[in-house]
This record gives sequence, structure tokens and C-alpha cells, in this order.
Amino acid sequence: MSSNNTNLKELFLNGIVKENTIFKLALSLCPSIAVTNNLKNGIFMGLAVLFVQVMVNLTISMMRKVIHPKVRLPIFMLVISGWVTVTQLMMAAFVPDVYAKVGLYIALIVAFASILARAEMFASKNKILPSMADGLGMGIGFLFALIVISFFRELVGKATLTIPTGLTTTYVWTLMETKPLLIMVLPAGGFFAVGILMAAFNWIDAKYSKKAHSH
Amino acid sequence: MTGKDILKITINLVVIYLIGGFILAFVYANASPKIYRNNEEAEKKALTLLMPEADTNEKLGDWTIHDKHAKYFISKKGGETIGYIIQSFGKGYSSYINTFIAVDKDFIVQKINVLSHAETPGLGDEIEADAFKNQFKGKSIEHLKVIKGETKDDIQAISGATISSRAVTEDAVKNGVAFLIKTVREGGNTDVQQQH
Repeated sequence: MSSNNTNLKELFLNGIVKENTIFKLALSLCPSIAVTNNLKNGIFMGLAVLFVQVMVNLTISMMRKVIHPKVRLPIFMLVISGWVTVTQLMMAAFVPDVYAKVGLYIALIVAFASILARAEMFASKNKILPSMADGLGMGIGFLFALIVISFFRELVGKATLTIPTGLTTTYVWTLMETKPLLIMVLPAGGFFAVGILMAAFNWIDAKYSKKAHSH
Repeated sequence: MTGKDILKITINLVVIYLIGGFILAFVYANASPKIYRNNEEAEKKALTLLMPEADTNEKLGDWTIHDKHAKYFISKKGGETIGYIIQSFGKGYSSYINTFIAVDKDFIVQKINVLSHAETPGLGDEIEADAFKNQFKGKSIEHLKVIKGETKDDIQAISGATISSRAVTEDAVKNGVAFLIKTVREGGNTDVQQQH
């Protein structure tokens, strides 16, 4: 039982550090650039992806024994687009303010390489519980990356932070009135930000794991 | 591929499409009335915000801009006309910007509101910011033009989002006000109502 638990914990952490979708696998970079120019958009996009990732992994894992291998990809796509549509409808109904901002990018989750990859590589071969742990880890890793990138871009680019204080309320914290490095909130700055943060993430990770090894 | 495979694939797809369809139908049935109410409430709220002094905002008619249908309203207080509200669209950087404009009865802009758009988040969506929208107060149609840099008489462009600024000012707002002036003046002010 205890080995089972450590296994789940490892699976969960795997998605956050070792196989972080954006910083390690460099997948799904399109949304990481498109929606991360303010913190609030990054957070809600990350939450939507987390929900879809977990639900897709759960569904695929439940059906893994009945899916015919020849049609597995169309079935994965159908499951993913189904859950994305559910997310879209729920957001439009319950958080219309947020949906007005990130709605455009929610539909794009259908085409996320990371979600299809987890369905194909993990959920279709593993039991329900490990699949959910994997989905949760991957989703939280993605959310974490989006928060880091959008925090960095908004702060450096506009010297503000848009912090969601509830589903429909936000608080905008302003450091200064001028926009110090406007390019960081522009699309080109997105590439710079992702590059810089990816390097930093890997540097810290390498340093930390080296230390762990020498002990 | 054997007949057994074909049968299994067919059952696979049929069952999954059916289940998926049912789940979507269920969520849609529950969510769509809420979405519809959200949109209606947003519009009603937008009208009251635009013309807080008015008791009623009655719909006068429809008009088209960029092949999109838009509405216009007459605002009354105690039976007297105090102004007009018009919905208009501007062709922005990546979307049509849905805008509401309130004018007084001399067609001076009182307030504008950006209802929906899909401009670049973080840049173009600054058209929703009060700092940009408040510039429109007291502007007559001649002053509805965008200037890059400091200006008090006209509308100052948002840095990094000149196209979106222009779309709101010179496309949506200006065309909307021009349409109101033309229609309402030709129709003889408050008698427009009887025109249709």
C-alpha cells in the first residue's frame, strides 16, 4: 500500500518538475505565449487545462480496455473536444467575465499536444488512479508554468499584476505608471519570457538534482 | 482486418459518440439558459451604466455596420428625450469590437462602453480601460479622431494598440454618432419612433 502511495506521489511530481509540459517538454507553447500577458488570464487558462487534463485522463483510462487500437486517436480527440466543450459552456454560464477574456483560447485546448500525448502515452495504458495522478501533476505543472510566465511578463512588461480575488472580481496592483519593457507583453516578448524562464527552471533543476546525487 | 474488428470499431465509435452527445446535450441544456440570461443582463446593465439619468431606454430600431446588426435606443426621463444610445461595431486588429455609445440630445458623446471583442489580451483589450473610455466624454463628432501622443481635444491612442484605438474611435463611435445624427435629424428628433 505504501509503495503504491509513493508511486502516485512520484507520478504527481513527475508532471510538475521532471516532465513539466512547458519548461521540460516544450509542448503546448502556443497558449503559454498567447494568454500569459496578464496574471489573471494565465491563472484561468491554467485551471481550464488542469480540468480538461484530469477529466480526459480519467475517461480514457476508464475506456482503455474497450477502445480498438485502430481508432484510438479519433476516440481520444472526441473525448478531448467533448470535455473542452463542457469547460467552455460552464465558463460561459458561471464566469462570463473570465470567459469574455480567455474564451477564445479555451477552444484551442482541443489541439494541445500535451493532453493528447498524456492520453496516448499514459492514460490508455494505466489504471484510473495513476492516470488521475498523472493528469493532476501534468495539469498543475502547466498551471504553475503559466503563472510563472504571466507573472514575469506582466510585471516586467507593464509593471502591474492583475490578481483574481474571486470568480468575477480582480485586483490590479500597480508598481508604477510607466510601462518599463512593453515588448514583454507583446507576442515577441512571449518567446523571450518563455526562453528565459525555461533556462532558469532547468538551471535550478540541474543544480538541485546534482546536489541530491552527491549526497 | 477481420469482420470482428470492423464490428468492434463500429460499436466503439457509436457508443462513444452517443455518450459524448448525451453529456454535451445535458451540459448545454443546463448552461445555455444561463448564458442567454448573462448576455441579456450584460446588455441591460450596459444600457443603465451608459445613461444613468434615464428612466427608460426604449429600442428605436436596427441598423447595420460591417454587415452586423446593431440596435439603437432612445433614453427618456419623465417622458422627455435626454439622449440616445447606439450599438456599433469597429473593425479592430483581430475582431469586430462591439461598442455602445451614449450621446445627449445634441449628439455630444457622454459615455462609451466596449461590450465584447477579441483584441490582443494585455494590449488591445486596454480599450476596455476607463482611462481610454473616459476620453470620449464631451466629444462632438469632429473630435472623434485618434492622435498618437498627448492630446486633450481628441482621443489619445493606447500605446501598442493604435489599430484597436482607431477601430473604436474612428470606426465604431464615429459611424454610430454619424448614423444617429442623420437618422434622428432627418426623422425630426423624437418622432423617429413613428417612422417604423
